[in-house]
Amino acid sequence: MQRDPAKFWNPYLAGAALGLVLLGSYVVMGKGIGASGASYRLGVAALQVVAPEHVASAPGLKGAVQHGSPLDDWLVFEVLGVALGGLVGAYTSGRLSREVLRGAGVPAARRVAFALAGGVLMGVAARIARGCTSGQALTGGALMSVGSWAFMFSVFGGGYALAYFMRREWR
Amino acid sequence: MIFPFEWLTAGGREVGLVVAVGVGFGFGFVLERAGFGRAQKLVAQFFGTDMTVFKVMFGAIVTAMLGAVALSGLGLMDLRAVSATATSATWIWPMIVGGLLLGAGFIVSGYCPGTSLVAAASGKIDGLATVVGVIAGTLVHAELMSRQGFRTFMDSGYLGQSYLYDLLRLPPAVVALFITLMAVGCFVGAEKLERIFAKDAAPLSPLAPRRFVFAGYGAVAAIGLAALALPASTAATPAPSGRIAAADLARRVLDEPWNVRILDVRTLDACAKARVPGTECTPVEMLKNLYLADVSPAKDLVVVADGNLAEVPAEIRSYRGKVLVLERGFEGWKDYALTAPSAPAPGAGPDELEAWRLRAGIHAAMTGVKAPPPPPMPAGGAAPAKRKAGGGGCSG
Repeated sequence: MQRDPAKFWNPYLAGAALGLVLLGSYVVMGKGIGASGASYRLGVAALQVVAPEHVASAPGLKGAVQHGSPLDDWLVFEVLGVALGGLVGAYTSGRLSREVLRGAGVPAARRVAFALAGGVLMGVAARIARGCTSGQALTGGALMSVGSWAFMFSVFGGGYALAYFMRREWR
Repeated sequence: MIFPFEWLTAGGREVGLVVAVGVGFGFGFVLERAGFGRAQKLVAQFFGTDMTVFKVMFGAIVTAMLGAVALSGLGLMDLRAVSATATSATWIWPMIVGGLLLGAGFIVSGYCPGTSLVAAASGKIDGLATVVGVIAGTLVHAELMSRQGFRTFMDSGYLGQSYLYDLLRLPPAVVALFITLMAVGCFVGAEKLERIFAKDAAPLSPLAPRRFVFAGYGAVAAIGLAALALPASTAATPAPSGRIAAADLARRVLDEPWNVRILDVRTLDACAKARVPGTECTPVEMLKNLYLADVSPAKDLVVVADGNLAEVPAEIRSYRGKVLVLERGFEGWKDYALTAPSAPAPGAGPDELEAWRLRAGIHAAMTGVKAPPPPPMPAGGAAPAKRKAGGGGCSG
Protein backbone atom coordinates (compact mmCIF):
# COMPACT_ATOMS: atom_id res chain seq x y z
CA MET A 1 0.00 0.00 0.00
CA GLN A 2 1.29 3.44 -0.90
CA ARG A 3 1.81 5.80 1.98
CA ASP A 4 0.00 9.04 1.44
CA PRO A 5 -0.66 11.04 4.64
CA ALA A 6 -3.28 13.18 2.90
CA LYS A 7 -5.33 10.25 1.63
CA PHE A 8 -8.28 9.01 3.69
CA TRP A 9 -10.83 6.30 3.05
CA ASN A 10 -14.07 7.27 1.39
CA PRO A 11 -16.34 8.24 4.35
CA TYR A 12 -19.19 5.95 3.28
CA LEU A 13 -16.89 2.95 2.95
CA ALA A 14 -15.21 3.82 6.27
CA GLY A 15 -18.66 4.06 7.87
CA ALA A 16 -19.65 0.67 6.49
CA ALA A 17 -16.36 -0.85 7.72
CA LEU A 18 -16.85 0.64 11.18
CA GLY A 19 -20.43 -0.64 11.22
CA LEU A 20 -19.29 -4.15 10.34
CA VAL A 21 -16.74 -4.09 13.20
CA LEU A 22 -19.55 -3.03 15.54
CA LEU A 23 -21.91 -5.69 14.18
CA GLY A 24 -19.21 -8.31 14.63
CA SER A 25 -18.83 -7.23 18.23
CA TYR A 26 -22.59 -7.58 18.83
CA VAL A 27 -22.74 -10.97 17.18
CA VAL A 28 -19.71 -12.56 18.80
CA MET A 29 -19.68 -10.90 22.22
CA GLY A 30 -23.16 -9.47 22.67
CA LYS A 31 -21.41 -6.19 23.47
CA GLY A 32 -20.56 -2.98 21.70
CA ILE A 33 -17.48 -0.82 21.64
CA GLY A 34 -16.47 1.92 24.06
CA ALA A 35 -13.71 4.25 25.18
CA SER A 36 -14.60 6.36 28.21
CA GLY A 37 -15.42 3.33 30.37
CA ALA A 38 -11.85 2.15 29.97
CA SER A 39 -10.49 5.64 30.76
CA TYR A 40 -12.46 5.55 34.01
CA ARG A 41 -11.04 2.16 34.92
CA LEU A 42 -7.50 3.30 34.10
CA GLY A 43 -8.06 6.34 36.32
CA VAL A 44 -9.36 4.23 39.18
CA ALA A 45 -6.38 1.88 38.85
CA ALA A 46 -4.00 4.85 39.04
CA LEU A 47 -5.83 6.29 42.03
CA GLN A 48 -5.76 2.91 43.75
CA VAL A 49 -1.97 3.08 43.82
CA VAL A 50 -2.03 6.52 45.49
CA ALA A 51 -5.07 6.29 47.78
CA PRO A 52 -6.42 2.72 48.10
CA GLU A 53 -8.66 3.50 51.13
CA HIS A 54 -10.35 6.34 49.31
CA VAL A 55 -11.05 4.13 46.27
CA ALA A 56 -12.55 1.42 48.48
CA SER A 57 -14.98 3.83 50.14
CA ALA A 58 -15.96 6.59 47.65
CA PRO A 59 -19.41 5.97 46.13
CA GLY A 60 -18.21 6.87 42.64
CA LEU A 61 -15.18 4.59 42.74
CA LYS A 62 -15.84 1.47 44.76
CA GLY A 63 -18.03 -0.10 42.07
CA ALA A 64 -15.01 -0.51 39.82
CA VAL A 65 -12.97 -2.42 42.39
CA GLN A 66 -15.72 -4.64 43.80
CA HIS A 67 -14.88 -7.56 41.52
CA GLY A 68 -11.09 -7.53 41.69
CA SER A 69 -8.80 -5.29 39.66
CA PRO A 70 -10.45 -2.34 37.91
CA LEU A 71 -8.44 -3.25 34.81
CA ASP A 72 -9.95 -6.73 34.54
CA ASP A 73 -12.62 -5.68 32.09
CA TRP A 74 -13.58 -6.23 28.44
CA LEU A 75 -13.42 -2.48 27.67
CA VAL A 76 -9.83 -2.13 28.87
CA PHE A 77 -8.71 -4.84 26.46
CA GLU A 78 -10.83 -3.37 23.70
CA VAL A 79 -9.19 0.04 24.17
CA LEU A 80 -5.77 -1.62 24.07
CA GLY A 81 -6.84 -2.86 20.64
CA VAL A 82 -7.98 0.64 19.62
CA ALA A 83 -4.54 2.04 20.42
CA LEU A 84 -2.83 -0.80 18.51
CA GLY A 85 -5.16 -0.36 15.55
CA GLY A 86 -4.55 3.38 15.55
CA LEU A 87 -0.79 2.84 15.68
CA VAL A 88 -0.77 0.35 12.80
CA GLY A 89 -3.16 2.53 10.79
CA ALA A 90 -1.00 5.62 11.32
CA TYR A 91 2.23 3.79 10.52
CA THR A 92 0.93 2.24 7.29
CA SER A 93 -0.55 5.53 6.10
CA GLY A 94 2.51 7.62 6.91
CA ARG A 95 0.68 9.67 9.53
CA LEU A 96 2.74 8.40 12.47
CA SER A 97 4.68 11.43 13.70
CA ARG A 98 5.23 13.30 16.94
CA GLU A 99 3.53 16.66 16.57
CA VAL A 100 0.88 18.98 17.99
CA LEU A 101 -2.05 19.38 15.63
CA ARG A 102 -3.33 22.95 15.82
CA GLY A 103 -4.83 25.83 13.90
CA ALA A 104 -2.51 28.24 12.13
CA GLY A 105 -0.91 30.71 14.56
CA VAL A 106 -2.01 28.90 17.72
CA PRO A 107 0.94 28.26 20.08
CA ALA A 108 1.53 24.57 20.85
CA ALA A 109 1.29 25.05 24.63
CA ARG A 110 -2.07 26.79 24.28
CA ARG A 111 -3.35 24.01 22.05
CA VAL A 112 -2.24 21.29 24.51
CA ALA A 113 -3.89 23.18 27.39
CA PHE A 114 -7.16 23.34 25.45
CA ALA A 115 -6.89 19.64 24.58
CA LEU A 116 -6.42 18.79 28.24
CA ALA A 117 -9.30 21.03 29.41
CA GLY A 118 -11.63 19.66 26.73
CA GLY A 119 -10.62 16.17 27.79
CA VAL A 120 -11.54 16.81 31.42
CA LEU A 121 -14.91 18.19 30.33
CA MET A 122 -15.53 15.14 28.15
CA GLY A 123 -14.49 12.76 30.92
CA VAL A 124 -17.12 14.24 33.24
CA ALA A 125 -19.69 14.38 30.43
CA ALA A 126 -19.15 10.78 29.33
CA ARG A 127 -19.67 9.51 32.88
CA ILE A 128 -22.82 11.61 33.25
CA ALA A 129 -24.22 10.19 30.01
CA ARG A 130 -23.10 6.61 30.82
CA GLY A 131 -20.94 6.54 27.71
CA CYS A 132 -19.23 8.63 25.05
CA THR A 133 -19.55 8.85 21.28
CA SER A 134 -18.35 5.24 20.98
CA GLY A 135 -20.13 3.50 23.82
CA GLN A 136 -23.32 5.53 23.85
CA ALA A 137 -23.86 7.09 20.41
CA LEU A 138 -22.49 4.32 18.15
CA THR A 139 -23.23 1.19 20.17
CA GLY A 140 -26.60 2.30 21.54
CA GLY A 141 -27.56 4.32 18.48
CA ALA A 142 -27.25 1.31 16.19
CA LEU A 143 -29.49 -0.67 18.54
CA MET A 144 -32.00 2.21 18.52
CA SER A 145 -31.76 3.02 22.23
CA VAL A 146 -33.77 6.15 23.09
CA GLY A 147 -31.10 7.57 25.41
CA SER A 148 -28.34 7.07 22.84
CA TRP A 149 -30.22 9.07 20.22
CA ALA A 150 -30.96 11.88 22.68
CA PHE A 151 -27.26 11.88 23.59
CA MET A 152 -26.13 11.94 19.97
CA PHE A 153 -28.24 14.94 19.02
CA SER A 154 -27.04 16.71 22.19
CA VAL A 155 -23.39 16.12 21.24
CA PHE A 156 -23.90 17.78 17.87
CA GLY A 157 -25.94 20.52 19.58
CA GLY A 158 -23.18 21.22 22.12
CA GLY A 159 -20.49 21.22 19.43
CA TYR A 160 -22.31 23.56 17.07
CA ALA A 161 -23.30 25.89 19.93
CA LEU A 162 -19.67 26.43 20.93
CA ALA A 163 -18.09 26.23 17.47
CA TYR A 164 -18.45 29.95 16.76
CA PHE A 165 -16.54 30.91 19.92
CA MET A 166 -13.78 28.40 19.22
CA ARG A 167 -13.24 29.34 15.57
CA ARG A 168 -9.97 31.21 16.21
CA GLU A 169 -8.43 28.10 17.75
CA TRP A 170 -8.88 26.14 14.56
CA ARG A 171 -8.30 28.57 11.69
CA MET B 1 -27.73 -21.37 16.93
CA ILE B 2 -28.56 -17.84 18.00
CA PHE B 3 -25.78 -15.34 18.48
CA PRO B 4 -24.16 -14.02 20.65
CA PHE B 5 -22.13 -17.06 21.56
CA GLU B 6 -22.90 -18.12 25.09
CA TRP B 7 -19.51 -19.74 25.52
CA LEU B 8 -17.76 -16.45 24.97
CA THR B 9 -19.79 -14.43 27.43
CA ALA B 10 -20.00 -17.06 30.17
CA GLY B 11 -16.90 -19.24 29.96
CA GLY B 12 -14.00 -18.79 27.58
CA ARG B 13 -12.90 -15.53 29.23
CA GLU B 14 -9.48 -15.56 27.67
CA VAL B 15 -10.92 -16.00 24.19
CA GLY B 16 -13.30 -13.15 24.94
CA LEU B 17 -10.46 -10.82 25.87
CA VAL B 18 -8.58 -11.72 22.69
CA VAL B 19 -11.76 -10.93 20.73
CA ALA B 20 -11.93 -7.62 22.65
CA VAL B 21 -8.46 -6.66 21.46
CA GLY B 22 -9.41 -7.73 17.91
CA VAL B 23 -12.60 -5.66 17.87
CA GLY B 24 -10.70 -2.67 19.27
CA PHE B 25 -8.02 -3.09 16.63
CA GLY B 26 -10.60 -2.95 13.84
CA PHE B 27 -12.21 0.07 15.45
CA GLY B 28 -8.92 1.96 15.89
CA PHE B 29 -7.66 1.09 12.42
CA VAL B 30 -10.83 2.24 10.65
CA LEU B 31 -10.97 5.45 12.70
CA GLU B 32 -7.38 6.24 11.70
CA ARG B 33 -8.06 5.53 8.02
CA ALA B 34 -11.17 7.71 8.08
CA GLY B 35 -8.98 10.58 9.25
CA PHE B 36 -10.25 10.61 12.83
CA GLY B 37 -6.75 10.77 14.29
CA ARG B 38 -6.50 14.39 13.17
CA ALA B 39 -8.19 17.12 15.18
CA GLN B 40 -8.68 19.46 12.20
CA LYS B 41 -10.56 16.79 10.25
CA LEU B 42 -12.84 16.19 13.25
CA VAL B 43 -13.65 19.79 14.17
CA ALA B 44 -14.25 20.68 10.50
CA GLN B 45 -17.59 18.94 11.10
CA PHE B 46 -18.66 21.80 13.35
CA PHE B 47 -17.62 24.48 10.86
CA GLY B 48 -19.52 22.82 8.01
CA THR B 49 -16.49 22.46 5.76
CA ASP B 50 -16.06 18.69 5.99
CA MET B 51 -18.89 16.41 7.06
CA THR B 52 -16.74 13.28 7.29
CA VAL B 53 -17.51 12.77 11.00
CA PHE B 54 -21.23 12.81 10.34
CA LYS B 55 -20.97 10.50 7.32
CA VAL B 56 -18.75 7.93 9.00
CA MET B 57 -20.70 7.94 12.26
CA PHE B 58 -24.15 7.65 10.74
CA GLY B 59 -22.84 5.26 8.09
CA ALA B 60 -21.56 3.00 10.87
CA ILE B 61 -24.81 3.26 12.82
CA VAL B 62 -26.93 2.45 9.78
CA THR B 63 -24.70 -0.47 8.77
CA ALA B 64 -24.65 -2.07 12.23
CA MET B 65 -28.35 -1.37 12.78
CA LEU B 66 -29.45 -2.90 9.47
CA GLY B 67 -27.14 -5.85 10.03
CA ALA B 68 -28.49 -6.48 13.52
CA VAL B 69 -32.11 -6.18 12.36
CA ALA B 70 -31.58 -8.46 9.36
CA LEU B 71 -29.71 -11.10 11.39
CA SER B 72 -32.35 -11.15 14.09
CA GLY B 73 -35.05 -11.21 11.41
CA LEU B 74 -33.49 -14.38 10.04
CA GLY B 75 -33.32 -15.84 13.55
CA LEU B 76 -29.49 -15.74 13.66
CA MET B 77 -29.19 -13.13 16.41
CA ASP B 78 -31.38 -12.15 19.32
CA LEU B 79 -31.90 -8.38 19.03
CA ARG B 80 -33.42 -8.01 22.53
CA ALA B 81 -30.72 -10.06 24.20
CA VAL B 82 -27.89 -8.16 22.48
CA SER B 83 -29.58 -4.83 23.22
CA ALA B 84 -29.95 -5.77 26.88
CA THR B 85 -26.22 -6.47 27.28
CA ALA B 86 -24.76 -3.92 24.84
CA THR B 87 -26.76 -0.79 25.66
CA SER B 88 -27.22 1.04 28.91
CA ALA B 89 -30.65 1.92 30.22
CA THR B 90 -31.91 5.42 29.45
CA TRP B 91 -31.66 8.26 31.96
CA ILE B 92 -32.92 10.96 29.67
CA TRP B 93 -31.80 14.13 31.53
CA PRO B 94 -28.24 13.08 32.32
CA MET B 95 -27.88 11.84 28.75
CA ILE B 96 -28.95 15.17 27.24
CA VAL B 97 -26.79 17.21 29.63
CA GLY B 98 -23.85 14.81 29.19
CA GLY B 99 -24.24 15.04 25.42
CA LEU B 100 -24.18 18.85 25.42
CA LEU B 101 -21.10 18.91 27.65
CA LEU B 102 -19.36 16.27 25.58
CA GLY B 103 -20.05 18.22 22.40
CA ALA B 104 -18.54 21.31 24.04
CA GLY B 105 -15.50 19.30 25.15
CA PHE B 106 -15.20 17.91 21.61
CA ILE B 107 -14.85 21.35 19.98
CA VAL B 108 -12.43 22.55 22.70
CA SER B 109 -10.13 19.50 22.63
CA GLY B 110 -10.60 18.57 18.98
CA TYR B 111 -11.28 14.92 19.75
CA CYS B 112 -13.84 12.65 21.34
CA PRO B 113 -12.65 10.10 23.91
CA GLY B 114 -12.29 7.30 21.34
CA THR B 115 -10.55 9.31 18.61
CA SER B 116 -8.16 10.89 21.14
CA LEU B 117 -6.77 7.38 21.72
CA VAL B 118 -6.14 6.97 18.00
CA ALA B 119 -4.50 10.40 17.84
CA ALA B 120 -2.29 9.60 20.85
CA ALA B 121 -1.32 6.25 19.30
CA SER B 122 -0.28 8.04 16.10
CA GLY B 123 2.02 10.35 18.06
CA LYS B 124 -0.12 13.47 18.40
CA ILE B 125 0.74 15.28 21.67
CA ASP B 126 -2.63 17.06 21.76
CA GLY B 127 -4.33 13.67 21.45
CA LEU B 128 -2.34 12.39 24.41
CA ALA B 129 -3.31 15.48 26.44
CA THR B 130 -6.97 14.73 25.71
CA VAL B 131 -6.56 11.10 26.79
CA VAL B 132 -5.07 12.26 30.10
CA GLY B 133 -7.84 14.87 30.45
CA VAL B 134 -10.59 12.29 29.90
CA ILE B 135 -9.12 10.03 32.56
CA ALA B 136 -8.94 12.96 34.99
CA GLY B 137 -12.51 13.96 34.08
CA THR B 138 -13.92 10.53 34.90
CA LEU B 139 -12.28 10.81 38.34
CA VAL B 140 -13.73 14.31 38.83
CA HIS B 141 -17.13 12.78 38.11
CA ALA B 142 -16.46 9.98 40.61
CA GLU B 143 -15.81 12.64 43.29
CA LEU B 144 -19.03 14.46 42.37
CA MET B 145 -20.85 11.18 43.01
CA SER B 146 -20.18 11.71 46.72
CA ARG B 147 -22.75 14.51 46.67
CA GLN B 148 -26.34 13.51 47.24
CA GLY B 149 -27.75 16.22 44.95
CA PHE B 150 -25.55 15.09 42.06
CA ARG B 151 -26.59 11.48 42.54
CA THR B 152 -30.23 12.55 42.39
CA PHE B 153 -29.51 14.24 39.06
CA MET B 154 -27.70 11.13 37.78
CA ASP B 155 -30.80 9.03 38.51
CA SER B 156 -33.30 11.47 37.00
CA GLY B 157 -35.42 10.71 33.93
CA TYR B 158 -35.02 6.95 34.23
CA LEU B 159 -36.84 5.10 31.44
CA GLY B 160 -35.30 1.65 31.77
CA GLN B 161 -34.07 -0.15 28.66
CA SER B 162 -35.96 1.94 26.17
CA TYR B 163 -35.82 1.58 22.38
CA LEU B 164 -37.20 3.70 19.55
CA TYR B 165 -39.23 0.78 18.18
CA ASP B 166 -40.94 0.33 21.56
CA LEU B 167 -41.62 4.04 21.76
CA LEU B 168 -43.08 4.15 18.23
CA ARG B 169 -44.69 0.71 18.59
CA LEU B 170 -43.39 -0.46 15.23
CA PRO B 171 -41.31 -3.51 14.30
CA PRO B 172 -37.54 -2.80 14.59
CA ALA B 173 -37.08 -3.39 10.84
CA VAL B 174 -39.54 -0.62 9.98
CA VAL B 175 -37.88 1.87 12.34
CA ALA B 176 -34.49 0.87 10.93
CA LEU B 177 -35.76 1.62 7.42
CA PHE B 178 -36.96 5.09 8.49
CA ILE B 179 -33.60 5.85 10.11
CA THR B 180 -31.78 4.65 6.99
CA LEU B 181 -33.88 6.83 4.70
CA MET B 182 -33.32 9.78 7.02
CA ALA B 183 -29.55 9.15 7.06
CA VAL B 184 -29.32 8.88 3.26
CA GLY B 185 -31.28 12.13 2.95
CA CYS B 186 -28.89 13.79 5.41
CA PHE B 187 -25.84 12.47 3.55
CA VAL B 188 -27.02 14.08 0.33
CA GLY B 189 -27.81 17.29 2.22
CA ALA B 190 -24.41 17.23 3.96
CA GLU B 191 -22.61 17.18 0.61
CA LYS B 192 -24.62 20.20 -0.52
CA LEU B 193 -23.59 22.02 2.68
CA GLU B 194 -19.94 21.12 2.12
CA ARG B 195 -20.10 22.68 -1.32
CA ILE B 196 -21.62 25.86 0.12
CA PHE B 197 -19.25 26.27 3.09
CA ALA B 198 -16.00 25.06 1.59
CA LYS B 199 -16.70 26.24 -1.97
CA ASP B 200 -13.98 24.87 -4.27
CA ALA B 201 -12.01 23.26 -1.48
CA ALA B 202 -14.73 20.69 -0.86
CA PRO B 203 -13.29 17.18 -0.74
CA LEU B 204 -15.13 15.65 -3.68
CA SER B 205 -16.24 12.14 -2.81
CA PRO B 206 -16.40 9.92 -5.87
CA LEU B 207 -19.94 8.79 -6.52
CA ALA B 208 -19.26 5.08 -7.14
CA PRO B 209 -18.59 4.04 -3.50
CA ARG B 210 -21.54 6.09 -2.34
CA ARG B 211 -23.89 4.35 -4.74
CA PHE B 212 -22.43 0.99 -3.76
CA VAL B 213 -22.93 1.63 -0.01
CA PHE B 214 -26.45 3.02 -0.45
CA ALA B 215 -27.41 -0.02 -2.56
CA GLY B 216 -26.04 -2.22 0.23
CA TYR B 217 -28.24 -0.44 2.78
CA GLY B 218 -31.28 -1.02 0.56
CA ALA B 219 -30.54 -4.72 0.11
CA VAL B 220 -30.03 -5.40 3.81
CA ALA B 221 -33.08 -3.33 4.77
CA ALA B 222 -35.12 -5.39 2.32
CA ILE B 223 -33.94 -8.61 4.00
CA GLY B 224 -34.92 -7.21 7.40
CA LEU B 225 -38.38 -6.26 6.16
CA ALA B 226 -38.93 -9.54 4.32
CA ALA B 227 -37.99 -11.42 7.48
CA LEU B 228 -40.91 -9.85 9.31
CA ALA B 229 -43.05 -12.47 7.55
CA LEU B 230 -40.92 -15.36 8.82
CA PRO B 231 -42.16 -17.23 11.88
CA ALA B 232 -38.59 -17.90 13.07
CA SER B 233 -37.83 -14.22 13.31
CA THR B 234 -36.75 -13.08 16.75
CA ALA B 235 -37.72 -9.54 15.82
CA ALA B 236 -41.31 -10.46 15.08
CA THR B 237 -41.95 -12.30 18.33
CA PRO B 238 -41.77 -9.63 21.05
CA ALA B 239 -39.59 -10.98 23.82
CA PRO B 240 -38.20 -14.45 24.24
CA SER B 241 -39.17 -15.92 27.59
CA GLY B 242 -36.34 -16.88 29.85
CA ARG B 243 -36.31 -18.59 33.19
CA ILE B 244 -35.41 -17.15 36.56
CA ALA B 245 -34.35 -19.13 39.61
CA ALA B 246 -36.02 -18.50 42.98
CA ALA B 247 -32.72 -17.21 44.40
CA ASP B 248 -32.36 -14.61 41.62
CA LEU B 249 -35.98 -13.55 41.98
CA ALA B 250 -35.52 -13.10 45.74
CA ARG B 251 -32.49 -10.93 45.12
CA ARG B 252 -34.34 -8.79 42.61
CA VAL B 253 -37.37 -8.44 44.89
CA LEU B 254 -35.07 -7.07 47.59
CA ASP B 255 -32.63 -5.07 45.47
CA GLU B 256 -34.74 -3.58 42.71
CA PRO B 257 -38.45 -4.25 43.19
CA TRP B 258 -39.15 -1.34 40.85
CA ASN B 259 -37.67 -3.30 37.95
CA VAL B 260 -39.79 -6.43 38.26
CA ARG B 261 -43.51 -7.05 37.99
CA ILE B 262 -44.59 -10.41 39.33
CA LEU B 263 -47.77 -12.07 38.06
CA ASP B 264 -49.10 -15.16 39.84
CA VAL B 265 -51.24 -17.15 37.41
CA ARG B 266 -52.37 -19.81 39.92
CA THR B 267 -55.94 -19.79 41.21
CA LEU B 268 -56.99 -16.80 43.30
CA ASP B 269 -57.29 -18.93 46.46
CA ALA B 270 -53.80 -20.36 46.17
CA CYS B 271 -52.33 -16.96 45.46
CA ALA B 272 -54.24 -15.31 48.32
CA LYS B 273 -52.87 -17.89 50.73
CA ALA B 274 -49.17 -17.48 49.93
CA ARG B 275 -47.29 -15.63 47.25
CA VAL B 276 -44.01 -13.96 46.41
CA PRO B 277 -43.95 -10.47 47.99
CA GLY B 278 -45.19 -7.75 45.66
CA THR B 279 -47.09 -10.23 43.49
CA GLU B 280 -50.29 -9.44 41.61
CA CYS B 281 -52.75 -12.34 41.80
CA THR B 282 -53.85 -12.72 38.18
CA PRO B 283 -55.31 -16.09 37.20
CA VAL B 284 -54.96 -16.79 33.47
CA GLU B 285 -58.51 -15.70 32.68
CA MET B 286 -57.85 -12.27 34.28
CA LEU B 287 -54.71 -11.53 32.29
CA LYS B 288 -56.55 -9.80 29.47
CA ASN B 289 -57.61 -7.06 31.89
CA LEU B 290 -53.98 -6.04 32.33
CA TYR B 291 -53.49 -4.92 28.69
CA LEU B 292 -49.94 -6.21 28.77
CA ALA B 293 -49.43 -5.44 25.08
CA ASP B 294 -49.95 -1.74 25.77
CA VAL B 295 -48.13 -1.10 29.05
CA SER B 296 -44.55 0.21 29.22
CA PRO B 297 -42.05 -2.62 28.71
CA ALA B 298 -39.56 -1.13 31.18
CA LYS B 299 -40.06 -3.76 33.90
CA ASP B 300 -39.23 -7.43 33.60
CA LEU B 301 -42.33 -9.58 33.91
CA VAL B 302 -41.97 -12.64 36.15
CA VAL B 303 -44.61 -15.37 35.82
CA VAL B 304 -45.30 -17.63 38.81
CA ALA B 305 -47.33 -20.78 38.16
CA ASP B 306 -47.93 -24.22 39.66
CA GLY B 307 -44.64 -25.96 38.95
CA ASN B 308 -42.95 -25.33 35.64
CA LEU B 309 -45.15 -23.43 33.24
CA ALA B 310 -45.58 -25.50 30.05
CA GLU B 311 -46.69 -22.66 27.82
CA VAL B 312 -46.63 -18.94 28.50
CA PRO B 313 -50.17 -17.51 28.03
CA ALA B 314 -50.67 -15.45 24.89
CA GLU B 315 -51.50 -12.29 26.88
CA ILE B 316 -48.12 -12.47 28.59
CA ARG B 317 -46.35 -13.20 25.30
CA SER B 318 -47.82 -9.97 23.94
CA TYR B 319 -45.82 -8.00 26.54
CA ARG B 320 -43.09 -6.04 24.75
CA GLY B 321 -40.52 -6.23 27.53
CA LYS B 322 -38.65 -9.18 28.98
CA VAL B 323 -40.68 -12.12 30.30
CA LEU B 324 -39.18 -14.54 32.82
CA VAL B 325 -40.77 -17.72 34.15
CA LEU B 326 -40.02 -18.69 37.75
CA GLU B 327 -38.28 -22.06 37.76
CA ARG B 328 -40.50 -24.78 39.25
CA GLY B 329 -43.14 -22.11 39.88
CA PHE B 330 -44.38 -21.46 43.38
CA GLU B 331 -42.98 -24.82 44.52
CA GLY B 332 -39.51 -23.54 43.72
CA TRP B 333 -40.15 -20.38 45.74
CA LYS B 334 -41.49 -22.39 48.69
CA ASP B 335 -38.43 -24.62 48.77
CA TYR B 336 -36.12 -21.67 48.59
CA ALA B 337 -37.74 -18.94 50.66
CA LEU B 338 -40.12 -20.70 53.02
CA THR B 339 -37.81 -23.51 54.14
CA ALA B 340 -35.21 -22.72 56.77
CA PRO B 341 -31.71 -22.93 55.27
CA SER B 342 -29.05 -24.87 57.09
CA ALA B 343 -26.14 -22.73 58.23
CA PRO B 344 -23.00 -23.03 56.09
CA ALA B 345 -20.10 -25.07 57.36
CA PRO B 346 -17.37 -23.16 59.19
CA GLY B 347 -14.76 -21.85 56.77
CA ALA B 348 -17.25 -21.36 53.94
CA GLY B 349 -16.25 -18.86 51.27
CA PRO B 350 -17.65 -15.31 51.20
CA ASP B 351 -19.94 -16.14 48.27
CA GLU B 352 -21.50 -19.06 50.13
CA LEU B 353 -21.89 -16.93 53.26
CA GLU B 354 -23.53 -14.13 51.33
CA ALA B 355 -25.97 -16.55 49.67
CA TRP B 356 -26.81 -17.98 53.07
CA ARG B 357 -27.38 -14.56 54.62
CA LEU B 358 -29.72 -13.56 51.82
CA ARG B 359 -31.66 -16.79 52.11
CA ALA B 360 -31.89 -16.63 55.89
CA GLY B 361 -33.07 -13.04 55.64
CA ILE B 362 -35.75 -13.90 53.13
CA HIS B 363 -36.85 -16.90 55.16
CA ALA B 364 -37.13 -14.72 58.28
CA ALA B 365 -39.09 -12.05 56.41
CA MET B 366 -41.48 -14.56 54.83
CA THR B 367 -42.19 -16.76 57.81
CA GLY B 368 -41.61 -14.47 60.79
CA VAL B 369 -39.13 -16.96 62.20
CA LYS B 370 -35.96 -15.25 63.31
CA ALA B 371 -32.80 -16.45 61.63
CA PRO B 372 -30.20 -18.10 63.85
CA PRO B 373 -27.25 -15.82 64.64
CA PRO B 374 -24.91 -15.51 61.67
CA PRO B 375 -21.75 -17.60 61.69
CA PRO B 376 -18.53 -15.76 62.61
CA MET B 377 -17.16 -13.59 59.82
CA PRO B 378 -13.98 -14.84 58.20
CA ALA B 379 -10.94 -12.58 58.44
CA GLY B 380 -11.19 -9.76 55.91
CA GLY B 381 -14.95 -9.74 56.13
CA ALA B 382 -17.38 -10.97 53.53
CA ALA B 383 -19.27 -8.26 51.71
CA PRO B 384 -22.77 -8.11 53.11
CA ALA B 385 -25.58 -8.63 50.65
CA LYS B 386 -26.21 -5.37 48.84
CA ARG B 387 -29.64 -4.27 49.87
CA LYS B 388 -31.61 -1.13 49.42
CA ALA B 389 -33.48 0.25 52.38
CA GLY B 390 -37.14 -0.67 52.29
CA GLY B 391 -39.24 2.08 50.75
CA GLY B 392 -41.34 4.17 53.13
CA GLY B 393 -43.97 1.68 54.18
CA CYS B 394 -46.76 2.67 56.55
CA SER B 395 -46.24 -0.19 58.96
CA GLY B 396 -46.61 2.02 62.00
